[in-house]
Amino acid sequence: MTIVPAGSFGWLALHELRLAFRSRATRGAARWIGYLLLAGWLVIGCLTGWALRHTPIPVPPEAMIGVLAVSVLGLTFMTAQAMIGSQRTLYERGDLPLLLSAPIPGRSVLLAKLLGIAATIALTYAALLLPIVLPVAILGHPRLLGLVALLIALALVAAALGLALTLAIARLVGPRAARTVGQVVAAVLGGALFLVTQLLPHDEGRTGTFAALFDRLRAARIGTSGISALPGHAALGDPFAILVVLGVGVAAFAAAGATLERAFLSGFLDGSATVSRSRPSGRASGRLFHTGLTRTVFAKEWTLLVRDPALAFQIVLRLIYLVPLFLGLVGGRHALPIPAALAFASVLITSQLVGSFAWLTVSAEDAPDLLSVAPVARAQVDRAKLLAAFAMAAPFALLFPIAIGVQTLAGAAITLVMTVLGGGAAGYIELKLGKPGKRGAFNKRRSGSIVAGILSLLVALVFGGGAAGLVFLVSGGIAVP
Amino acid sequence: MTTSALRIRGLAKSFDKPVIEGLDLDIAAGELYALLGPNGAGKTTTLRMVAGLAAPDAGSIEIFGIDTQRDPLGAKAITAWLPDEAMLYDKLTPLEYLAFVAGLWRMDPAHAAAEADRLLQWLDLWEQRDTRCEGFSRGMKQKVALAGALIHDPRLLILDEPLTGLDATMARLVKDALRAQVDAGKTVIVTTHILEVAERMADRIGIIAGGRLLAEGTLQDLRDRAGTAGMTLEDTFIRLTSPASVAAPVAP
Repeated sequence: MTIVPAGSFGWLALHELRLAFRSRATRGAARWIGYLLLAGWLVIGCLTGWALRHTPIPVPPEAMIGVLAVSVLGLTFMTAQAMIGSQRTLYERGDLPLLLSAPIPGRSVLLAKLLGIAATIALTYAALLLPIVLPVAILGHPRLLGLVALLIALALVAAALGLALTLAIARLVGPRAARTVGQVVAAVLGGALFLVTQLLPHDEGRTGTFAALFDRLRAARIGTSGISALPGHAALGDPFAILVVLGVGVAAFAAAGATLERAFLSGFLDGSATVSRSRPSGRASGRLFHTGLTRTVFAKEWTLLVRDPALAFQIVLRLIYLVPLFLGLVGGRHALPIPAALAFASVLITSQLVGSFAWLTVSAEDAPDLLSVAPVARAQVDRAKLLAAFAMAAPFALLFPIAIGVQTLAGAAITLVMTVLGGGAAGYIELKLGKPGKRGAFNKRRSGSIVAGILSLLVALVFGGGAAGLVFLVSGGIAVP
Repeated sequence: MTTSALRIRGLAKSFDKPVIEGLDLDIAAGELYALLGPNGAGKTTTLRMVAGLAAPDAGSIEIFGIDTQRDPLGAKAITAWLPDEAMLYDKLTPLEYLAFVAGLWRMDPAHAAAEADRLLQWLDLWEQRDTRCEGFSRGMKQKVALAGALIHDPRLLILDEPLTGLDATMARLVKDALRAQVDAGKTVIVTTHILEVAERMADRIGIIAGGRLLAEGTLQDLRDRAGTAGMTLEDTFIRLTSPASVAAPVAP
């Protein structure tokens, strides 16, 4: 921190990089598990590098297309991550008032913040990539260092795009809705490409949608020639391609700094403003007061969920990641009949949803002390919360048994029972093993309790498998053409 | 005979090191009692144990004769706890928050609704009753939390640093609210760093340091014991909590 003058852009950038590094750090057992995994990954990288040190690495067209596909996929994930980072910077991080009240140009603050976001993104992927790439590159294939340049370029572009999108959303929908809409857009962006690949038509006899996608790209010469081949060439060490991708990254970064300063400052000021409006409803207060603990807890949990649509959307959006599993069950040569597959999906989806909602209601309680000082047994409150979580997942839990009921009523009944059991077990696991956290940290909830995550999955598989098997038996293996 | 609102005997609690050691405390019903002490003295830990938020390692706590360990729900039913950081939900409105608190204390809905309306008007929150708390200032949040603490008409009200961060108007409002509770026969215990509040409002003051009660009584009692006649509570407090006094506490 002493090499560069205090208060300069470089000094501020180093400060942001330090924060980015520290934000990746974990504590306790998770830290040591992280170190252990990283060390293991590095050992695999070193062994791979040693094994390949005298072996030329072939570069088929598929590799070039693969780099392009991974770059595009990575860029969407990174942009979603950058949007979340931008929202935190503008609306949550406490140091922006300090920085903007200091005698430092606003543009320096913006660029430093942008660099911090880019560094956070790059570090996420570097932990996966570098332990393998660096040993292989150092031990005999230095051209692979181009992957590092590609990663940096992608992170810079994503940071610029993420901030621009966040500010555009704030301009379009206003500061009050900007956070919610921004989170929804980020979630959709994160899952969009994945969903698109699932919706592509499958070729006869092919099980992998990515394989079909590769065939299409190869036929159109996308990724192997022209501009679309630049990521591939850069990743494989072509100096010109490296210069171009890095140039694009730096240009996007600089352009964001040059054009977004005013929007950034006004976005920060709008975000700091009071976000609630005073709107006395004029209705009688009595409508809100209920008899009985369960109704009271229900009302509170539902109100909190409805008032956080971004979070509710995030939970439901996670179901997208279950689509390939379902397609695998109903497609291919060893496909399950539709009712059995639906029974499995019903349990899997409901247990996932109940687990997520139970985390929200039980572990992400905003005022745990209030419940502790209230004259109610904790178990009673927890039961009411679990019931609320179940009710939140109920629309999805009922959907599949109804669909199965069209073909087999017994199958529908079995599915309903197994779904309730699976969902109940998932909620109970959350109740007993869930670690407290803030509602906004929904995506990180599983990092608090790995055991709960594994058990929830086991429950879904056991009850889902049971449901599928029983429905298969009662429906006599009905297959739908 | 004076009814005892709070009776603590031999209370002990350790975390990494002992925080409370053999604390005895008696607070009479209808009293406004100020618990003072330097940072880390054990004030909040003591009151959290009284409120049922932490379990004592040893000793007993009785609230109006109810043993908090034998009948925790019975004790909680007549107690309210107001910490320095308001226990609120940002996405709920004050009215919704009060409805939730009333439900937890199992109040009759009609009575609770009327009481909520009265408190919201009294605390000057009526216009904001349907506004989510997320945009409220610290003082506004503290007022909503105070309404939540009062809605179930507790016999014992415990407040941890209730005036921290409040402006003069808000602070006056809170002080008036506390005085009104005492006038209505309720018992109020406050911890505060603002000695002027204790000096002007408290019926009795207790000074705690190193997990022990060093001295207690009226302001005049404390001055007499510390030998600070004619001096302020601040002078008395500093004298009583000096390392020498902590090592050899003044006998009550």
